[in-house]
Parts: sequence; structure tokens; C-alpha cells
Amino acid sequence: MIVVATNLTYFLAWGFLDPRNNYVGRRPPLSEEQVVQLLQPRNLSDTVPLLERWWSWFSAIIFGWDWGVSPVGQSVNDQVAYRMWVSAELVLGATILATVLGIALGVYTASRQYKIADRIGQATSIVTMNINIVVAALGIVLLAIGFNNMVGTTVFFVTGSSSLGVTGFFPIIIDALQHLILPTIALVIIGYAGTHFLQRSLLLDNINADYVRTARAKGLTKAQAIRKHALRTSLIPVATQVAFTIPTVFMGAILTESIFGWNGMGRYFLETIAKNDIHGTVAIAAFGAVLTAIGALLADIAVVVLDPRVRVS
Amino acid sequence: MTNALLSVRDLKVSFPSETGTVDAVRGISFDLEAGRTLGIVGESGSGKSVTSLAIMGLLDENVRVSGSITFDGQELLGKSDKQLSAIRGNGLAMIFQDPLSSLTPVFSIGDQLIEALTVHRKLSKRAAWARAVELLETVGLPNPEGRMKSFPHEFSGGMRQRVVIAIAMANKPKLIIADEPTTALDVTIQAQILDLIAKAQSETGAAVIMITHDMGVVAKTADDVLVMYAGKPVEKAPVHELFHRTRMPYSIGLLGAIPRVDKAEKQPLIPVKGNPPLLINLPDACPFATRCPIAIDACHTREPDLVSVDNDEVGEHKTACIRSHEITDGGLIDGHPVFPVPDIPERALAGVPREDRPVTLEVRNLTKTFPLMKGAFLKRKVGEVHAIRGISFDIREGETMAIVGESGCGKTTTLLQIMDLVEQVDGDILLGGTSVADVRGGHAERTLRRDIQIVFQDPMGALDPRMTVADIIAEPLRAIGTKKAGSETRVDELMDLVGLDPTHSNRFPSAFSGGQRQRIGIARALATSPKIVVLDEPVSALDVSIQAGVINLLDELKAKLGLSYLFVAHDLSVVRHIADRVAVMYLGAFVEHGSVDEIFEDPQHPYTQALLSAIPIPDPDVERTRERIVLSGDLASATDQVGGCSFASRCQLFKVLPPEKQARCLGEVPPLTGPENAHRNACHFR
Ligand SMILES: Nc1ncnc2c1ncn2[C@@H]1O[C@H](COP(=O)(O)OP(=O)(O)OP(=O)(O)O)[C@@H](O)[C@H]1O
Ligand code: SF4
Ligand code: SF4
Ligand SMILES: [Mg+2]
Repeated sequence: MIVVATNLTYFLAWGFLDPRNNYVGRRPPLSEEQVVQLLQPRNLSDTVPLLERWWSWFSAIIFGWDWGVSPVGQSVNDQVAYRMWVSAELVLGATILATVLGIALGVYTASRQYKIADRIGQATSIVTMNINIVVAALGIVLLAIGFNNMVGTTVFFVTGSSSLGVTGFFPIIIDALQHLILPTIALVIIGYAGTHFLQRSLLLDNINADYVRTARAKGLTKAQAIRKHALRTSLIPVATQVAFTIPTVFMGAILTESIFGWNGMGRYFLETIAKNDIHGTVAIAAFGAVLTAIGALLADIAVVVLDPRVRVS
Repeated sequence: MTNALLSVRDLKVSFPSETGTVDAVRGISFDLEAGRTLGIVGESGSGKSVTSLAIMGLLDENVRVSGSITFDGQELLGKSDKQLSAIRGNGLAMIFQDPLSSLTPVFSIGDQLIEALTVHRKLSKRAAWARAVELLETVGLPNPEGRMKSFPHEFSGGMRQRVVIAIAMANKPKLIIADEPTTALDVTIQAQILDLIAKAQSETGAAVIMITHDMGVVAKTADDVLVMYAGKPVEKAPVHELFHRTRMPYSIGLLGAIPRVDKAEKQPLIPVKGNPPLLINLPDACPFATRCPIAIDACHTREPDLVSVDNDEVGEHKTACIRSHEITDGGLIDGHPVFPVPDIPERALAGVPREDRPVTLEVRNLTKTFPLMKGAFLKRKVGEVHAIRGISFDIREGETMAIVGESGCGKTTTLLQIMDLVEQVDGDILLGGTSVADVRGGHAERTLRRDIQIVFQDPMGALDPRMTVADIIAEPLRAIGTKKAGSETRVDELMDLVGLDPTHSNRFPSAFSGGQRQRIGIARALATSPKIVVLDEPVSALDVSIQAGVINLLDELKAKLGLSYLFVAHDLSVVRHIADRVAVMYLGAFVEHGSVDEIFEDPQHPYTQALLSAIPIPDPDVERTRERIVLSGDLASATDQVGGCSFASRCQLFKVLPPEKQARCLGEVPPLTGPENAHRNACHFR
């Protein structure tokens, strides 16, 4: 799947991006020959047939794990190597947090259906779901700056993914968290509501299910019956859904990273597009696919843990 | 009164709703002693389930419950969920209607059963397991030890209901409430489950509340009966009193509306006209007054209380009717029946012998197999489901042919094959003499299709809620190209024919009750003036009092229009009433086929005998004294390709046969034998 998606992106990218455009309007203008001379060694010249280009790109990945170079000659491998971790940290962290928060809220509000807490929770989620990521991020930046000013020291960093010159295991972790916390909050805010609503409605369906009534008739209290019988069944579809939220979170991360000045994959994506960097774009797509696959795998594991019927068959 | 195990006094339950407060239960009182069974009957919506949930304390918090429920000396109303949970499942147990959904799908049977044990008492793992196995054995689950780790979806409905009963029995309760425990099950399974509940009762000495809409089940199980209507008990009596000295018009109507499987003469059923009232802002009047044929002015001024019937020696017979004392045994008032007996027009063809009537539908060696697929992603064929294994029959003009059998035996598949005019490989379907193999597509096929129409089981689901009734009825007309003007008069005509008011034709289906919707479905089927109407369980979703009206309508239409019906049902009482010929189907094949009276009076195949003996008869004297054959086991699977008689695994006759004869049952498929057109069966030894 990942391979197919990546190759597809390769061809799509060639349909939309043209490295040649980078040299349009240069002063002094470059001649056709010069452009080709610049691009050809980088396997980016459209004078070579597309299939041949594709093959040299693809074979380099298969045989040498070399993802190619950008139009200016930077190695994609180098770029991705460190950005990858930066983004993975953000995307996976935010997804897990948003899921946990969504499920928790879903359970909490469902067991208080139509009461005040449920209504507040629902209203809040409707609002956050519709907030634009840019607005959310900027709002958080402002709040954090306000907070920093108030306590007089920089608790939250609003730009970058780490500070220079920090050493020692714990200082590095603390520093990373200080940077991580704001963009993560931004992503969680826009991302949790979907899970919240799904969990809430599934649990409500299950609370009224006959088997929960049977459980109560056995002598479980309502709370026990819900926790033991309704929750388990309602978690299964939620777990499946989480895999599919990862691409969404990744899209959110693209903008978040730019706002918070992170040097991650998201920002890299914007840059590659702007610079007609086909190899970079494709590598990012592959990264997205890998993240989704990881999500799907995690979801599968969760389903197996939750649903013993799967284990039996 | 003090020795009562359960004492309910003036119980009232009301639900808040958008249109106003729904008074679902409006004052019900009764006492129940240990070891006795109280039957609560009534139509859907009469408050039976709400009463039981109120006793269990399983209603939502926003539901208003008042009155008093004393169980085992404790007042239950007002107790917290936590306090109640100590009683629920311990002293007080419940069996629910739908076994398919009442077990948690993600926990094993064993876990769910053990939970019922350990929630009330400390038990070691080993002891709990042993007790659970013992319980499964008590409820008759084969191989209980191995079944502990199974999940609910691996079980059939009947087996799941056994598990639910095992859970209910787990802590030797003093009271078992069974809310329609067999409604979702087939008759042969119903007989098993009712026996099992009786066994559970005798083993634990428990009292039982048996909630049902089936008068037959009441006659079979109850000691005392409470008839509910519009949230109130309208008649209460010991079971024999209730059936033989019925004093309340509604109960009389309920009993008169039931077709009897043990009565040969074809009297029309007596429907109760109208529908139960909505339970919002009920006026202070007898709630049955609008449907009661003997209502007088006084009935509309005050709601009658439940009081003792004057001439009652036992002193336990109570009714809520101001004219009860005028009613005499047999449902007579002033020498006339309370409910006037409707007359059904005599059929034009009644005098013509069967052989002289034209054949409208002939089916020869109909077969259908489904491939059995496995795997989620790449499906591969792992076997075949033999849904129909070669059946043949014919239907003559003005005749009703019924196919009966348990769920999954292939009834619906048969109908669908016929409706789709599916060309047969080694057989044929002939409509009015035309073979479906000869007409493919275009005009000829459309003409053929006009002659055969279908009415579905579910009156709610079968009608498009966004179409007006006129559109729904005119749909088949449009399909055959009738002009708009022509179809409008036809719609009015049809609505009148099925007993609906033609001025309501621009309303939507939601404005009609279940019985009326089924009439709409019938009108639609009649639109193209078909020769044959196929009915798939047309009345099984309806309450008896409504059902009777629809059955009478079908009878009437057959007489008026000379229709033929192909009727599929699992309710044999209805079949006995409506059919001329019957085929009993088991695992995709007919095991017995013949005229209705032959089959019901002289059932020959062991399966037919068991099926008939499983139906509870709404008469406690008959029901409690007759001999009964209770089949063991569930319906076998249609996947197995059997080399012998497919019924052998459950056959009661097989069990008593000598080994050499048993070998024949297992080794040779019994064909349908016997006089053609009269009475044939597929058993080697009958
Ligand atoms: N589409 C299908 N694919 C595989 N098997 C099927 C399919 N439809 C029906 N069957 C099988 O064919 C058999 C006959 O089914 P059918 O629906 O005709 O039963 P029925 O007598 O109408 O049952 P019920 O009374 O529950 O409606 C069953 O074993 C069923 O599981
Ligand atoms: S009180 Fe009147 S309306 Fe009600 S059942 Fe009796 S006779 Fe009929
Ligand atoms: S053939 Fe044998 S198994 Fe089949 S019904 Fe007859 S006696 Fe029973
Ligand atoms: Mg069916």
C-alpha cells in the first residue's frame, strides 16, 4: 500500500510541479541548455522520458535507500532524517492525546446525557471542531506569551522544536516538552471533537442496548454495567476510526509547524511545493503513508485487545 | 395478603415526552405468592414491559414511578440503584424478549454467567466455573463444558435464550420475570423454553411473572391472569375463570380474535375494531369505550374501577367494566354475542371441485443454493447452502396454499425465487400455464408480472415513508404504464376495497396504524388485478385484535375476487384458518403436503406432529391435558448435505425405531409419497 501510494504521488507530483519553473524569470535568464544541465544530474529534467526518470528514482530508493535530491541539490534523505522525528513526535503525540481526550469526554458526557455537563461539552466540541487550525494556533501563542510574561520566564516556547545548547537527559526532555506542548495543544483542540462525538453516540447506543439491561438485571449497578459492558463494545469502532484521523492530524501539522516555526515535515512540505521539489514532496507523501499505516496497525492491535471474537476466529 | 412474595399497589409509571406526559402504566395492583405464575397479557403498548421494568427498577431516572412495590418484605420503590443491584439477579431475576441482543457480544458465555454468580457472592474461580457449567447443563445446552468459552454469536436464538435463563437461575431467585421470553423464537423452540422455565420454577420454587401477548402461552403457564389495556388491568382472574367466564368485552374480543389451530370449522374471526388510545391526557372514561360494541353513555363519563364481578363465587374475579354483570358465559349479553360476528361472503368457486379449477401457479422442482463464502478480504467458496432442495406444488384458482416451517427453512427464499421468476435449471415455474423460461424481458414479462404480486411481513418497513398512500398504491400501476387519471380512480377503488377511507389517500404511511399499513400493502398488491398474491408473514407483526381484521379481509378478497394466495407463515393457527392446502417445510424441502384439514387432523410426518403439538392452545383445559411432543435440539444447518432424512437428528420416531430401520433413515432420502393432490409425506415409516 505504502509503495503504491508513494509511486502514485511521484507521477502526480510530476503532473503538478515543474522544476523548470524555478529558473523562469532568472536574471540573467538561463538558456534551455543550462537548465537541462542543472536538472539532468538531479534526475529532474523533463527531457528524459518520465518512465526512465521514475525508474532511476525508484531503483535508487530500492537499492540504495536514496530518495533523490532537490532542484538545488540537497539530499532529501538528509532533510527527512531529522525532520521526520520532529513531526512524528508531534503528530503521534497529538493523535494519542486527542483520542484519549475524545474518548474520555465521550464517556463522561454520554453518561450525563442532556445534563448540563453534556451540553457544555457538546457545545465546546462543536466550537473547537470548527476552529481553523491557524486561529487556534495563534490564539494559543498569544495565551502562552501572556502566561510567560505573567510568570516572568519562558515556560512555553512559541517557536522552534528545541533550544540550542541544552545538554543532559532531563533538561533535553523538559526542553522538548516546553516546545512540544503548544503545537500539540493546538492540534488536539481541533482534533479531539470528532472522537468525542463518535464515542458519545456509540456509547449512548450501547447504554440502551439490551445486553446492558441484562447486565443490570444480573445485579450490576448502572455504572458498572456501562463500564464493563457498554464501553468495551463502543470502543471497537472508535479504535478503527483513529487510524483514519492520522492523515487529518498530519494536514493540521503542516500549518501548525509553520506557525510555530518547527523544522518538521509539515514545513518541509510547504517548502518543497514552493520550490517544485518533486523528490521531497514524494518523500513526505511516503512519510504520511507510513504514519497512517502505523495508525492502522495500532488500531488493529487495539481491536484485537478489545474484541475477543477476533482472536477466536 | 401478608404471605405474598410480591405486592404491587397502585403502580403508576409516566414518561416525559415531547407531546406530553405518557401515562404508560396507570395504576396496577396485584399480589403474587411463591411458586405461582401470574400471566400478564395485552396488546403491544399496553404497559406490560414497563410494569416489569418498574419492578426490576430498570427504568431511566427521568421516569416517574409511584405507588408501592413490596418484594420479600422490602419496599423497592425509592431504593437507590446500588441497593437495588443487591436484589436484582439475586432474589429477583428477569428473562428478556430478544435473546439475540440480550447477551454482550464481546464476552464469552462463561464469563457472562460467572459474572452473574460472582457479583452477588464470593466464589473461587474454580467453584464459579463449576457452578456455571452445572447451570448450562440444567438449561439443556449440549456440551456445556466446551460451550463456556463460546461467544453469543456462535449460538442460535433458542440456545442464547437458554443462556439467559441460566443467568436468571444463577442465584436461585424467588421471583422470575419473563418478558415475552419466546416471542422471537420458533414454536418448537418456544415449547422447549416454556418447559425450561417451568423446570426452573419447580427447581427453585420461584414465583413467575409471565408477560406475553399470546393467549395460548397464558393458558399453558399461568395460574392467574391479568389482562392489561391502555396501562391498566381491565380483567383479573384465575386462569380457568378468565378463559371460561370472561366478563370484560376487551378480553372477550382478544379471545375471539385468535384463530384456533384445533378447530376445523371456518368461522370468521372476530376483530376488535379501532386501535388502542394514545396514553397522553386520557379522558376520564373507559379507555376501551371507542372500540367497545356494547358501550353505553355511562362508559364515557367515568373510568370504571377494577372491582369484583358480582356473581363470582371465588371472589377473585375482577373487571373494570360497568356492564360485566350483564355478560354471561360464552361472551353473550342479552343472549347476543358481545362482538357481532361478521359474515364472510361465500366463495364463488366453493362448489367447484379442485381438479376442475384452472391452475394459476405451478412450481416444479424448485431449487436454490447459495455459495458459502469465507474470508473477509479474498472470499473463497467453502461450501453451499441448500436453501431449497427441489420443491413442487400447484395452486388453483381461488385457493390458498400455505407454506409453514421454522425460521431459516427456506420459506422466504422460495417466495423470492417465484417473485423473481427465476429460470430453473432442472425445474420450472409456470404462471397461468406460461413457463418463465419462455418469457425473457420486455412486454411479455411485464404482462406476466401483473399476475403475481407480493405483500410483505413488516408493514412499517415495506412502505416508503416519503410517498403518499395514493402514490404507493399506484406504483405498480405506473410500472405497467397506466395513465394518471385512470390510476386515481383505481386507487380510490382499492382503498375502499381494503377498508380504508379513500379521502385519506394523500396522507403519508406514518399517519396509519400497523393494521392499516398492512391494508395499504394489500391494496398495492391488488392494484394490477393479479391472479395470485404472495403473502410473506402478512400478519405476524400485528396484534391479534388487528390481525383478525386483516385475516378476514384476506378471506373476503379471496371470495370476492377469486384470488389465489401463496401464504408463508410460521403461525400454524393462522394457517389453519386461512389455508386450503398446506406444505410443511423443513430444511428446504417439503416433508408433508396436503389439504389443510388432512394435515391438521391427521398429521403424519413426525415433524408436523411435533410442530402441531408445540402450539399452545388458548384454552387451559385443552392445553394442560393434551399430549405433547417436545423436539430436542435446534434446526439443523442447511449447509450439511445429508445422505438420509434431514429430520433424523431431531426425529422422535427415529429414536424408538429398531437399528435396521434407523439405518434406512440415515442412508436413504425419503421422497414425498402418498396419494397425489391429497396428502403426501416424506417419512419412510409413515
Ligand atoms: N443471501 C444469502 N446468502 C447465503 N445464505 C442465505 C441467503 N439468504 C438466505 N440464506 C439461507 O437460506 C436458508 C433459508 O432462508 P430463508 O430466509 O428463506 O428462511 P425463512 O424460512 O424465510 O426464515 P424466517 O422465518 O426467519 O424469515 C437459511 O439457511 C439462510 O441462512
Ligand atoms: S365500561 Fe363500557 S365501554 Fe368499557 S368495556 Fe365495559 S361496556 Fe365497554
Ligand atoms: S424418515 Fe426416519 S428420521 Fe425421517 S422422519 Fe421418518 S422416521 Fe424420522
Ligand atoms: Mg423469512
